[in-house]
Amino acid sequence: MLGYALRRTDNTDDAADVLAETFLTAWRRLDEVPEGDQAKLWLYGTARRLLANHRRGERRRLALADRLRAELALTYRPPDRAADFAEIAAAFRRIPQPDQELLALAGWEELDAGQIAAVVGCSRNAARIRLHRARRRLAAEIGRAMADMSPAGDGITNGDHA
Amino acid sequence: MNPISQLCPVTDTEAARLVRDDTMAALADDIVRSGMAPYTGAPLPAADGARPANSRRLRRRLLIGVPVAVALAVAGLIATSLGTPGQHLGPVNVGPPKAQAAVLSFTRQDGYIQVIVRNPVADPKRYRAEFAENHLNITLTLVPASPSVVGTLVEESLSAGSGPQITPITAKDRCFTGGGGNVCPVGVRVPVDFHGAATLVFGRAARPGEQYESAGQANGPGEAMYGLHYQGKTVAVVLAMLAKRGFTVPQYRVQRAGQCFMEVRRTVPGNWLVYDATPWAPGQVLLWAATTLPVRMCSGVRISPSPSPSAPAG
Repeated sequence: MLGYALRRTDNTDDAADVLAETFLTAWRRLDEVPEGDQAKLWLYGTARRLLANHRRGERRRLALADRLRAELALTYRPPDRAADFAEIAAAFRRIPQPDQELLALAGWEELDAGQIAAVVGCSRNAARIRLHRARRRLAAEIGRAMADMSPAGDGITNGDHA
Repeated sequence: MNPISQLCPVTDTEAARLVRDDTMAALADDIVRSGMAPYTGAPLPAADGARPANSRRLRRRLLIGVPVAVALAVAGLIATSLGTPGQHLGPVNVGPPKAQAAVLSFTRQDGYIQVIVRNPVADPKRYRAEFAENHLNITLTLVPASPSVVGTLVEESLSAGSGPQITPITAKDRCFTGGGGNVCPVGVRVPVDFHGAATLVFGRAARPGEQYESAGQANGPGEAMYGLHYQGKTVAVVLAMLAKRGFTVPQYRVQRAGQCFMEVRRTVPGNWLVYDATPWAPGQVLLWAATTLPVRMCSGVRISPSPSPSAPAG
């Protein structure tokens, strides 16, 4: 869950808050949390909603995340993204946020369409279609940015089997 | 190769190395103790149903004064000990709150307004009025809290705004956190040019029968099990220790074998072992019990019975 939060926030303070609030929510709604592997998807879904609140500017700072916040500030250094991927990163940031999240769930959390459906709250079929559209949008963005370079768009759709 | 994977800022394995196990364990501990509202239905009947209801009521009535007295004492301590030269802190209020007395102390210093809650049992309308008088868009709410965390800041929500932010003021020995610490937020520093909105949640004394929304350690000062070594003892022994102090156990938490989450039970066999406890409401404590110890948590954190460092000898 910490990885999920760090991958989607600009700073470690927000990641610490999202992590703490996700588990606080889970604890408060323990009777809603499914068992087994489904629990992780439930937590991703909760973290996703909390992150959406963060993006809307509704930051919630929990006193109980103080220690985690302090430790992460010392230990986490965002990696220097390789220049090779700068164009893809820029294209990724330009596509709509919901598309980014679908592609991230597939590429970073390595979830399949059924699992993504559980996280975002839609049917498996809808998740598959939305994922496909998100890949196409990303490919189009990359295509625009790298018009004079190799056909990266094809690489995306062929390479991402999630 | 999946190009999205290449954009991954940090993998789960790398993230796991960023934070020490005991930090995560302390967070889990704090969440379990602070997020005290997992079940919102009507309170379950007491586990020890053999005890006559009227006897329980009588005992509880005797305890009513304890949290309120602690709340007032904590308020007094905050007002006196955080006072520094130049501050204008009024006389310490240890009796019933007076209508005209300030419930918050506002001190301007170096571009900040320092806000300390002086009376955690005051009417919330009065907080709003005082913040408004100081031109601050801050809402202060109070949640019922167990005695050792009354008067401390338990939650803070901030609105949008990239400008100067509110920071907590901490004080030592004002409360005892789930992780065993004794440094707690007791107020906030608000930049004078703060333009956002914030909600601050402080712990207040619970009313009789009211469930805590924020709780300290069960064996912290002023709490039900202060000074008791209960971890690793049988449920029957712990119930007897609690009964002597007039406390009952409304629910238990039991971890099912191979599962990550706890099961709620009204009763457990007397020979099971207690490995944790949390203040639940005035006169009530929640116990964590298992058939064998130590209990292995899903995160890999092991909870083993060991005397709490905050519990005095004897």
